Amino acid sequence: METVINDYISREFVPDAALLPLANDTSLLDSGILDSLSLLRLVVFLEERFGITMGDADLLPDNFASVNAICAYLRAREPGKEAARG
Amino acid sequence: MAYLLQRLLTEAAARQPQRPAVASDGCLLTYQELDRLSNKVARALLRLDVAPGDRVGILAPKSAAAVVGLYGALKAGACYVPLDPKAPAGRLSHILRDSGAAVIVADAARTSQAATLAGAVPRPPGVVVVGVPGRPEREEAAGVPAQGAATVPWTSVAGESSEPLAGERAIETDLAYILYTSGSTGTPKGVMISHRNSLTFVDWAAAAAGLGEQDRVCSPAPLHFDLSVFDIFATCRTAACLTVLPEGAATFPVSIARWLEAERVSVWYSVPSVLTLLACYGSLQQLDLSGLRTVIFAGEVFPPKHLARLMAELPHPRYLNWYGPTETNVCTAFEVPAGWADAEPAPIGKACANTEVFAVTSEGRRVSRPGEEGELYVRGPSLMRGYWGQPAKTSEVLVRDPFRAEYGELVYRTGDLVTLEPEGNYAYLGRRDSMVKIRGYRIELGEVEATLYRHPAIREAAVLPVPDELLGNRLRAVITADGVGNLTREDVLDHCRQWLPGYMVPDIVEFRETLPRTSTGKVDRAGLAQEQHELEPAGDGRRDNR
Repeated sequence: METVINDYISREFVPDAALLPLANDTSLLDSGILDSLSLLRLVVFLEERFGITMGDADLLPDNFASVNAICAYLRAREPGKEAARG
Repeated sequence: MAYLLQRLLTEAAARQPQRPAVASDGCLLTYQELDRLSNKVARALLRLDVAPGDRVGILAPKSAAAVVGLYGALKAGACYVPLDPKAPAGRLSHILRDSGAAVIVADAARTSQAATLAGAVPRPPGVVVVGVPGRPEREEAAGVPAQGAATVPWTSVAGESSEPLAGERAIETDLAYILYTSGSTGTPKGVMISHRNSLTFVDWAAAAAGLGEQDRVCSPAPLHFDLSVFDIFATCRTAACLTVLPEGAATFPVSIARWLEAERVSVWYSVPSVLTLLACYGSLQQLDLSGLRTVIFAGEVFPPKHLARLMAELPHPRYLNWYGPTETNVCTAFEVPAGWADAEPAPIGKACANTEVFAVTSEGRRVSRPGEEGELYVRGPSLMRGYWGQPAKTSEVLVRDPFRAEYGELVYRTGDLVTLEPEGNYAYLGRRDSMVKIRGYRIELGEVEATLYRHPAIREAAVLPVPDELLGNRLRAVITADGVGNLTREDVLDHCRQWLPGYMVPDIVEFRETLPRTSTGKVDRAGLAQEQHELEPAGDGRRDNR
């Protein structure tokens, strides 16, 4: 999961080759890799890749701080919770 | 009444010296402080022999320091040229060369970026560092040397006298700023706005938004986007407070919404896509946004269902739709009535004060009856002076009034197609040419194509817009290349990122053996667009379900 997400972000959003390779704990916010535009594209990617639906309560800085944070967020979403969210 | 933009500041400082002028990232400047600090910057610029009419680049995100810097440039009689710190170096150095900037004013964190940029220009501009008291001078403390450019550190600027300069160094027809926007032939073009052009908008806008000194005004638009003229100058005109959305908060809709609540922002001005995000992802119902009394949007069409949703979630503010290319400031406006639930986008409305708009049909007649369509023309003192250094391009859009040639006054052809509605409002229909908008940013498809052609392996390129509900459009590049298979999507994107800001870099890259042609040999754009339509038929239904 880390590799998939790291690859996607590295390929799509890293504005400067000097930031590569991207470490899984690099802050995506402080480094300017994620902005409001790339965040939305990332959300669409995650929704399609992992078959989930993300609502406004999910779009929080804590969930997108780094590749590791995104993976932790995804793992915390249990299947039962998915159904409840509709 | 002010006739120069900087007079808005000196008058506000005389009237309300202790009122907050700029709140940015925990820093608060009063009008007196802003006035005095900008005097120091003006003096530092004069020391570098900045003369009236000179161009001064501003390399900083919107912040207290940037506002100090741009008022300093204006007080020195110069016109300011915003330089987006996030834009690629190639684009910034083009703007520096094209505008012939005499000096770059940079905030402390961008001192070394400014020096590097300056060093890459044949006649390097000097660099003046601007700050605000009590802010850490990170770059200077780190001892970053200036390469190839004379750098005046903030400590020197701060040591200048804060007394006002004697007399004004500009008149109202002099340029106040140049905003660079996408150019169809491959390089950005500079829209020249004089003090009078700008104040025509600022005076109208402050009244139309009902600004008062208690207001806290925010626009997330960066300095190089003309929406920022409103929050910087109309706010100052009324001695209200400019509140700057921190970069960290701008990424997440929930963060923006919480920040709006915490800062008690009362007037908001942005492109619709930011408001769409707030409506869809902002958790607005959980917040107390009762302080927000006016929401203004401009720059692109607000998808009606998202506007209706926003107005349903936040019913109390006034909603204003403003329209106008950078070349005209804002020229029409429409107040969206409460409870708006129309399936059509809100109209762009009627002409602003001191402005006339009219539409011309494809047969050259003036649109006079509801339902007729035509290209929108604009007349009045808000029109730009022209494109910097491009008289031929200017004369394509600033033309004689087709119906009143005897006046000799030039009118602006917007390239926007509109229709007249029964109530006298104009409604936007689309573009006459290949300009598209992404989150309000203008993009000439020709500029993206010209950039692609700069890649040695790319033989042919066509760039097409793919409509997207949240973004306005995404860009799709269809490419033929020498040695197909060797060139990858990543190569193409890396190449584009060297020259183009992020919003102009294509999302979708397709490689072909050949590009489809029409019978006249032109690239068959309609055919390519049709393919896209068949690939993604129903737009984005996913978001409809929220």
